[in-house]
Amino acid sequence: MKRKEFLSRLIGEISGYILESNPLRMVISLHQEEDGAHIIIFDDKIRDKNELQEIRKALNPTEKRPELAEYYGMMAGRDAAWDTRLKLVGWQIKKATVENNDSGTQIELWLGEDSFNPANFTM
Amino acid sequence: MEHTEKRLYIVILSMLLMMIVAGFATDGIIKTVVHIWELQYTRARLIQDFTVTSIGAALVNAALVGLIGLIVVFFSEVHLAGPTVASILTITGFGLFGNTPFNSIPIILGVWIASRLARKSLGSYSLIALFGTALGPLVTLVAFELTGSVFWMLPLSIIVGLAVGFILPAVAGSLLVIHQGYNLYNVGFSCGFIGLFAAGFLKALHSLDDLIIVWNTQNHLTLMLLIPVFAIYLIICGVCIEGKHSWNSSCKDFIKIQKHSGRLPSDFTDMNSIGGTLINMGVLALICWTYAMIIKAPLNGPVLGGIFTVIAFGGFGKHVRNCLPVMAGVIIATLVFGKSLVAPGPILALFFCTTLAPIAGHFGWIAGIIVGFIHLFMVETTATWHGGLDLYNNGFAGGLTATLFVAFMQWYRTNRPQEDFKS
Repeated sequence: MKRKEFLSRLIGEISGYILESNPLRMVISLHQEEDGAHIIIFDDKIRDKNELQEIRKALNPTEKRPELAEYYGMMAGRDAAWDTRLKLVGWQIKKATVENNDSGTQIELWLGEDSFNPANFTM
Repeated sequence: MEHTEKRLYIVILSMLLMMIVAGFATDGIIKTVVHIWELQYTRARLIQDFTVTSIGAALVNAALVGLIGLIVVFFSEVHLAGPTVASILTITGFGLFGNTPFNSIPIILGVWIASRLARKSLGSYSLIALFGTALGPLVTLVAFELTGSVFWMLPLSIIVGLAVGFILPAVAGSLLVIHQGYNLYNVGFSCGFIGLFAAGFLKALHSLDDLIIVWNTQNHLTLMLLIPVFAIYLIICGVCIEGKHSWNSSCKDFIKIQKHSGRLPSDFTDMNSIGGTLINMGVLALICWTYAMIIKAPLNGPVLGGIFTVIAFGGFGKHVRNCLPVMAGVIIATLVFGKSLVAPGPILALFFCTTLAPIAGHFGWIAGIIVGFIHLFMVETTATWHGGLDLYNNGFAGGLTATLFVAFMQWYRTNRPQEDFKS
């Protein structure tokens, strides 16, 4: 899949999730390298521990699901009318962190090829 | 591979082996083997009930198709879970009326070639590869029904199978988006779409005969007992699969499963547990079988195939709460249009209409009844469009109904004035 399309779908789905809580502010930052990319998205809504844990769980599945990621992942970012499904994002990324910061919630996504190591990412 | 997944392999494998044993026990080894060979070149377009040829051969043929699915899942290194179990049991069910190893393998290989070209693993496309065998009748038709020497037509049929398998991932991905995952048999929808072009081409060549319904009306003890035996087996496995003291949690998970919408992709084994999922599959099987017995429907290949598909998706989108409204819609439509409940169209639509179960799961039971009602008259029309080449005709009709419904709901939801900016 083309990088542009892939990124646009993931950003669409994750921003759709953030917009469901109707924030007054949402910021999306993208940084790309040759073998991977880093997306940060944050808003002005502080979420409780349970919701943060649910987001973490959806974005960091315990097992790889290539049969779902490749095929059903096509739906990510294409549905603005109904509930967003963060699992569609989780299956397609390397890693995600989810934390509350001073003003709201910050979600970081790392994505890239199999060889991509988020630890080596140079920002 | 996790311990529970290993057990799930044993459950599915043992079901397929039971079918093989039942098949050979019913018709004897020699007769069964001879008829299995015959099924490979028997017309496979809708509706071709393989149990008319031989009950034993139909059962063993179905189990062989299922085994191919299990092998594909194992070697493509994807998890045996809700989606993959759904694909294996679905193609097993269609092995009773249309799928054979001969017409399935070229399509799977075609998808594999597409995966290599896209630099993906077969695992990534494994669901498309298995569900894509819905176009198996096209392979059989080219090989044995078109005029021409088998010497030429046989290789041509393989090429056709490879070609449709090759384009399936592209089509399936695109069509998934238009109904937003509310039609569970999305590959069936895609195969119907491809089938339209194939049927159009064949009709231009005057090579596509009208549809024929080959339908076994004789009930046989083996076929009558197959579903209740599997249902009870699945429920027992569901209660026991996660250890001695897990029955309570499995039963609780069965209840929790009823709360999901079932919209694609809803893997109940991941969202809840394998135990709860197997119980859900078993309960759905019992409900379908009981209904078929009450209305005195013939338990033949296509009817069992329909029930198999409901069981199959009991781990991937279907549960009692979201299936019943859609089924009720089909029953109401059948009665309103003055059709017989046991006629091939309505009885098959009743089981296969559960492709629209996520609509009932998400929008409620009234929406479920409405789409079930629409589904009946749509499904009886669409089979002629693709000339019966798409075995998942209900998936095709369901895709159209879901698209219409979702388009309307999307328009309604995105035009609510209360969510506009205030002027």
